[in-house]
Amino acid sequence: MSGRRAGAISLRILQQFRHDRRTLMLLFGAPIILLGLFYFLTGGGSSLPAVDVVNLDRGPLGAVLAADLGQSTEINVARTTEARAASDLSADAVAAYVVLPADLSARAQSGDVIAPTVHLEGTQPALTQPVLLALDQSVTRASRNLVAAEGVHVPVLEPSLDYLHGGPGLDTLDYFGGAFIGLVVFLLVFVVTIIAFLRERSQGTLERLMASPLRRADIVVGYIGGFMVVATVQAVEVVVFTLYALHVHNQGNVALIVLLTLLMTLVAVNLGIFLSMFATTEFQAVQFIPLAIVPQVLLSGIVFPIATEPSWLQVVSRLLPLTYGVDGLRDVMLKGNGLTSGPLLLDVAVVVAFAVALIAAATATLRRSAS
Amino acid sequence: MSAPSVAVSVEGLTKAFGSIRALDGVSLTVGAGEIYGLLGPNGAGKTTLIRSLVGLITVDTGTVTVLGRRLPDRAVLAEIGYMPQSPALYADLTVEENVRFFAAVHGLDRPAAARSTADALEFVDLSPRRRSVVATLSGGMRQRVSLACALVHRPRLLLLDEPTVGVDPQLRAELWRRFTTMSGEGTTIIVSSHVMDEAERCGRLGLVRFGRMLAEGTSAELRRLAGVERLEDAFLVLSESRP
Ligand SMILES: Nc1ncnc2c1ncn2[C@@H]1O[C@H](COP(=O)(O)OP(=O)(O)OP(=O)(O)O)[C@@H](O)[C@H]1O
Ligand SMILES: [Mg+2]
Repeated sequence: MSGRRAGAISLRILQQFRHDRRTLMLLFGAPIILLGLFYFLTGGGSSLPAVDVVNLDRGPLGAVLAADLGQSTEINVARTTEARAASDLSADAVAAYVVLPADLSARAQSGDVIAPTVHLEGTQPALTQPVLLALDQSVTRASRNLVAAEGVHVPVLEPSLDYLHGGPGLDTLDYFGGAFIGLVVFLLVFVVTIIAFLRERSQGTLERLMASPLRRADIVVGYIGGFMVVATVQAVEVVVFTLYALHVHNQGNVALIVLLTLLMTLVAVNLGIFLSMFATTEFQAVQFIPLAIVPQVLLSGIVFPIATEPSWLQVVSRLLPLTYGVDGLRDVMLKGNGLTSGPLLLDVAVVVAFAVALIAAATATLRRSAS
Repeated sequence: MSAPSVAVSVEGLTKAFGSIRALDGVSLTVGAGEIYGLLGPNGAGKTTLIRSLVGLITVDTGTVTVLGRRLPDRAVLAEIGYMPQSPALYADLTVEENVRFFAAVHGLDRPAAARSTADALEFVDLSPRRRSVVATLSGGMRQRVSLACALVHRPRLLLLDEPTVGVDPQLRAELWRRFTTMSGEGTTIIVSSHVMDEAERCGRLGLVRFGRMLAEGTSAELRRLAGVERLEDAFLVLSESRP
């Protein structure tokens, strides 16, 4: 080994970094951004899941328990009627509602198990845990106070769980299956397009196309056409594999899943073309992958529910196409919604709007890049 | 419609890249069916001039009129064939697929594209290799594929940026004979080159330097102007003279 020759390579690499500021910014900036995101998503300054509490208890424990739940650091509690709570849950305004039954105090005094009903929305396992934890903590605290005051036993808590969607029959794969279909397809198509389009530029063929009578829109639509053929096959493959080989739970229309997946690829193709305009080398294009994908994965509600993000991050989440694709796929697969459902229609409309906006943006940047 | 007798007319073209003046007031008129050679040292502005003739350069000032149409004009691009300086091809496609793609892009329908592709490959003497993937070709062969892509749609104006770099002498002579035939049939050809025996075959030559047209004329005129025997010496003498 020769120190001088190896040193020449090290020096050359450092020189290349000096000429490629963008890569340096990524290397030093991205970890801060990504770790910061993790901090906010896993608790730092995050929002609490909203939970309604309905107190029907005729004795004292219900009121004490409801008041204590109001102080919980796990959930954000509002007290309301059962009818309101049920409509909140189906409108996705709350993650759950807890009904404290009429015989709560009576059972607690007789040393029986107490069984408040927890009505869960059910499609977001990450939202179930804090509700049960908060209930458990409050029962322990509230009854301990009552024990001191009135001499009752610490009751055994056995909440009965009721799921609006999904339920205990679903496993982790069922919850994440739909979201992952959207993610996998989006990611792959995005990477392939950004590289393909960049190659078109670096090998000089884009310039040749610009010197031909093609319109810019012809180029973008041509790319969409070519990639969508492959993407359709891919979408069908992914959906069939997920549903029939992995047996991921699905309540909805399979064609609708494929449609949503295809809309996601349409967004991905145009995002790829659009972003490739900002990269001059394949090296730089590869850097868009963590930058464009990782925050989307973290913020689109796949793993971390959007409802528990800090409110400013929720705004960011609402600006990402993947958020709506994932939400739509969950609506179909876990809730069995069809195109008559308002929330699903909204998701589809937003994804279509993203696709259209990105097609326009891709066409516009194409024009600018030919100087 | 009768073909206009002037194929290309450029007036007072300027283009700066930052502080570099790639074009500095170039004017140029090329008649229909002419073979016009652009000569000049590296960085003179030949490529920039050629690219501005297909609208790839948005010039700072000046006008470009090609085949009677003032640029920018997308429709006229269908009648221009442009061969970039470095072969711009899809390396993962075959020779035939590349040429046929550019035929289609210029508006030829399937049967016409197939026929023209066969002719263009014949022109550059690559028919036997038409099924080879471009990445597996030699450098000179890629250059020839690139040329085939530029002329497959039988353009009325051919812009060739150093088309014969890396092409062997025998084939180069053959290509030039074919260029001459094309020009006889009315095709206008503008070609940049550093090779003097190619320059000799051009009807007229333009000597470019620092983005300016230093001298123009036939080979004989340029040699007389410089007072030397050989075109190569004329090139050196005229390049030296301060404009
Ligand atoms: N895209 C660009 N960005 C910045 N500078 C450019 C660009 N294109 C050309 N130039 C500059 O413009 C000048 C003219 O370049 P051009 O390619 O036209 O030269 P040329 O006559 O074709 O040279 P050669 O014989 O080497 O091909 C050069 O100084 C070059 O560096
Ligand atoms: Mg050049």
